Amino acid sequence: MSDAPGEELRTNLLVLGAGPGGYSAAFRAADLGLDVVLVERSPQLGGVCLNIGCIPSKALLHAARVIEEASEMAERGISFGKPDIDITRLRDWKNQVVGRLTNGLSTMAKQRKLRVVHGVGRFVSPHELAVEHDGGRSTVAFEQCVIAAGSEPVVLPGLPDDSRVLDSTDALELEALPESLLVIGGGIIGLEMATVYDALGVEVSVVELTKTLIPACDRDLIRPLQKRLEARYEAIMLGTRVTGVTTGDDGLIVRFEGEQAPAAPRRYDRVLVAVGRRANGDLIGADAAGVEVSERGLIRVDRQMRTNVPHIFAIGDIVGEPMLAHKASHEGKVAAEVAAGEKSYFDARVIPSVAYTDPEVAWVGVTEQQAKSENVAFVKGTFPWSASGRSLSLGRSDGFTKLLFDKDSRRLIGAGIVGINAGDLIAEVALAIEMGSDAADIGLTVHPHPTLSETVAFAAEAVEGTITDLYLPKPRSGG
Amino acid sequence: MEVVVPDLGDFSDVEVVEVLVGVGDTVAKEDSLIVLETDKASLEVPATHAGQVTELKVSVGDQVSSGDVILLLDAAETAEPAEPREAPAGDAIGDTAPPPESAAPRATERVDVLVPDLGDFSDVEVVEVLVKVGDAIQAEAPLIVLETDKASMEVPSTHAGTISAIDVAVGDRVSGGDRVLELEAAAAPERLKAPESAPGSRVSAEQKPAAGRSPQPRSQIARQTAPVDEHGFRQAHASPSVRKLARELGVDLGAVTGSGVKGRVTADDVKAFVKQIMLSDGRGMALPAVPEVDFASFGPIETRPLTRIQKISGPRLQASWLNLPHVTQHDVADITELEEARQELKERAAERNLRLTPLAFVVRVCVRALEEFPLFRSSLSPDGESLIVKNYFHIGFAADTPNGLVVPVIKDADQLDIFGIAQALGALSEKARSGRLSPKDIQGAVFTISSLGGIGGTFFTPIVNAPEVAILGVSRSQMQPVYEGGVFVPRLMLPLSLSYDHRVIDGALAVRFTTRLGQLLGRGRELTEGAR
Repeated sequence: MSDAPGEELRTNLLVLGAGPGGYSAAFRAADLGLDVVLVERSPQLGGVCLNIGCIPSKALLHAARVIEEASEMAERGISFGKPDIDITRLRDWKNQVVGRLTNGLSTMAKQRKLRVVHGVGRFVSPHELAVEHDGGRSTVAFEQCVIAAGSEPVVLPGLPDDSRVLDSTDALELEALPESLLVIGGGIIGLEMATVYDALGVEVSVVELTKTLIPACDRDLIRPLQKRLEARYEAIMLGTRVTGVTTGDDGLIVRFEGEQAPAAPRRYDRVLVAVGRRANGDLIGADAAGVEVSERGLIRVDRQMRTNVPHIFAIGDIVGEPMLAHKASHEGKVAAEVAAGEKSYFDARVIPSVAYTDPEVAWVGVTEQQAKSENVAFVKGTFPWSASGRSLSLGRSDGFTKLLFDKDSRRLIGAGIVGINAGDLIAEVALAIEMGSDAADIGLTVHPHPTLSETVAFAAEAVEGTITDLYLPKPRSGG
Repeated sequence: MEVVVPDLGDFSDVEVVEVLVGVGDTVAKEDSLIVLETDKASLEVPATHAGQVTELKVSVGDQVSSGDVILLLDAAETAEPAEPREAPAGDAIGDTAPPPESAAPRATERVDVLVPDLGDFSDVEVVEVLVKVGDAIQAEAPLIVLETDKASMEVPSTHAGTISAIDVAVGDRVSGGDRVLELEAAAAPERLKAPESAPGSRVSAEQKPAAGRSPQPRSQIARQTAPVDEHGFRQAHASPSVRKLARELGVDLGAVTGSGVKGRVTADDVKAFVKQIMLSDGRGMALPAVPEVDFASFGPIETRPLTRIQKISGPRLQASWLNLPHVTQHDVADITELEEARQELKERAAERNLRLTPLAFVVRVCVRALEEFPLFRSSLSPDGESLIVKNYFHIGFAADTPNGLVVPVIKDADQLDIFGIAQALGALSEKARSGRLSPKDIQGAVFTISSLGGIGGTFFTPIVNAPEVAILGVSRSQMQPVYEGGVFVPRLMLPLSLSYDHRVIDGALAVRFTTRLGQLLGRGRELTEGAR
């Protein structure tokens, strides 16, 4: 006919977006016998997480940790000297890590006989998606669909269009090591990038609009982190906003306003904007499919991940906070199973959060500030890592483990851990919450000695009053 | 004689996707010869004449345009079938193919007549077969009678023709889409088909999913599961795998008692919970049994089977009686004026063959009251968490029939004047008595009226037609002395008995409702307003 259509595909299930949520949905659906087409705008699978998020940042954070530990050992009798950093090789290694994972995904997609279409997808009807790509335009007709189109970094208005103003993607590219870096945003992403650049010898400053770093978690968890950062960074400016950035030949001139704002404008080589992420609901032609999108680009779903259009599901960042890969992948599986006719629900009680800073901060379930504001009666058990042999032998005494229990049922309802490897320790606590464990269950579980995981058992014993590794007066109930 | 491709409109070079005849075949006029497929649609090219195919000029894959020769025919002299048949009046919809030369009788074609969409009903019993093989029937002629829930319905023929096979017998159970019989119908050509349904469709042959499933929407693949108390579910002491099992079985985890340590719900607890519900037949608990008595030991007896309607209505009445906390509010309404108005209008009604009964007035009054008291047209949601208020006014009325009690429904009674109501009452009652109510006629009521006034009695306690929340019982009106202005005056009084679901309606509201009914009935003349 007059406008020649490109390739036309038909499928049981279309998955839009190949991030952790999208590929989990696609793979699970394929394993359940559905014919699946996976549409992804970038050439590699894996989405933000694998390509420009979690994985490359963790590779760099590992490098940062090695540098830090090497330098700390100087005081303890082992000196390596000042690190000689070859930024190109470091970048190559990071890219190798990413490449290995994304290639693994492509292989698994092939093994599952998924059809992958690379290009930008937009709905044109409730049962069709048009995909624009270099070769033109193709159409995918689908019976059901999972929207997993993720989120993008929020762009601050009024900042100059200058290559020295970075977002998290640029920062991970590690083009060059500047002398000074201002991170706008004291949330998880901003602090992780600050950690990397600090370890690589960059003079880092952080500015945060609210009065606290990482506002979502309890204040006491932030204190050990903040203490360490304050000692290392040029400045941490809380309750402070950036009022203007102007470009100069030798850097970016930034003006501040607020509680901890410096009187005069400051000059930085680079500015990293990490003020949050916005869901991509507005970018996918959702209207044409009849899918409702909120003003913040979010799509509402039910517990089976269904949108207002019953045959279209949405998962991951695009359905809202917490915007975390591990949430998305679980949601993706639920959507795939429901699409395949199973009676699956997203019934997880808790979703852990981790900031891979140094020290790491991790929390799960009810936070103490939340329990107080919601009048949940709880008992709290805390174990300071300064009493942990393992932590001390790792050369660290900062950090603690905190467990919150329901006062009546004595069941675990939440936990927060700050310290190295807190992100790995939080998994045990998440399992304990899902299993409905109480303090005795955790305290009576034999934990290996000497490990950091012991601190979880000790915190439970603190509540039970059975702890011998500390002397505590009778545990008091909070709330 | 050459048979050529007809005018294809805007299309040319259209692909032949199927050749339906071979050399030597005898074709009747209008028989399909080949199937063409454009990217919009497929169409069959019919024979313009009857005769024997002597040569095929096209094969599958050829591209043809208007005027191209399809095949050669050895035309029959008077090729019309010996027994000319009636052509049906209505042609198929969407017949945009060029009309063949007119005025020729059409050939026959086999047509399946299917059970129509029965709405919520399936596995409905065939109680009567009205036709037999060889019968010549008209379109719309009744073929079989189905008996659904409280009514029976006839399945009419979709086509005219001669019956060549019948697939159902009395006692069979059928659902929407089942074949009833096969007709040798006068051909009703259906030329334009959606590409998806065309055999050998080329459009998507190579791109179809491996399993060959149609990519058209299966409207809702995942079935709706039973509503669950989500809050209770979240609180339940159960591990993720037990939660998953509960979801699969639709179990409300919050309602399960855990047998594990510290009350933990185990997978076995979930299974036991389901088993218990199944054993108790969904009623949650067993009822104490009525003792069995050997009646024959006391004298002669006879056994009469329950009618179909009794078999269906019995459990429903029991379900309503057991599930709903019933309260009945009694009152009397002065209908002296109403009766005068009714007598005045009776003649006008009779002119249009209508019986203007007191019930018509009661229906009208109930609609007014329901407009003012929305709770009386509500139902509890299945999870018991909310009320669903229905903003339409379909009124059911209990009708006594030789087979038992049925409740036909007057749709949108608020849109009808008194004559309209009388007419609906008359028509539905007639259908009910003759056992010809369709499923539509007995669905959708928001409130029910049970009138025993034609028989007698003073008050009674009707059972709410759950999930409705109220029912009005009407007994026989009587002249009674009413003390008015210091003297007793004779007034015509109508006894009302309103039974209601006490979970939804409280006593004060019920009295307000019956009081309002009394007021409205007392101003009977107003009820005839707007009647024309």
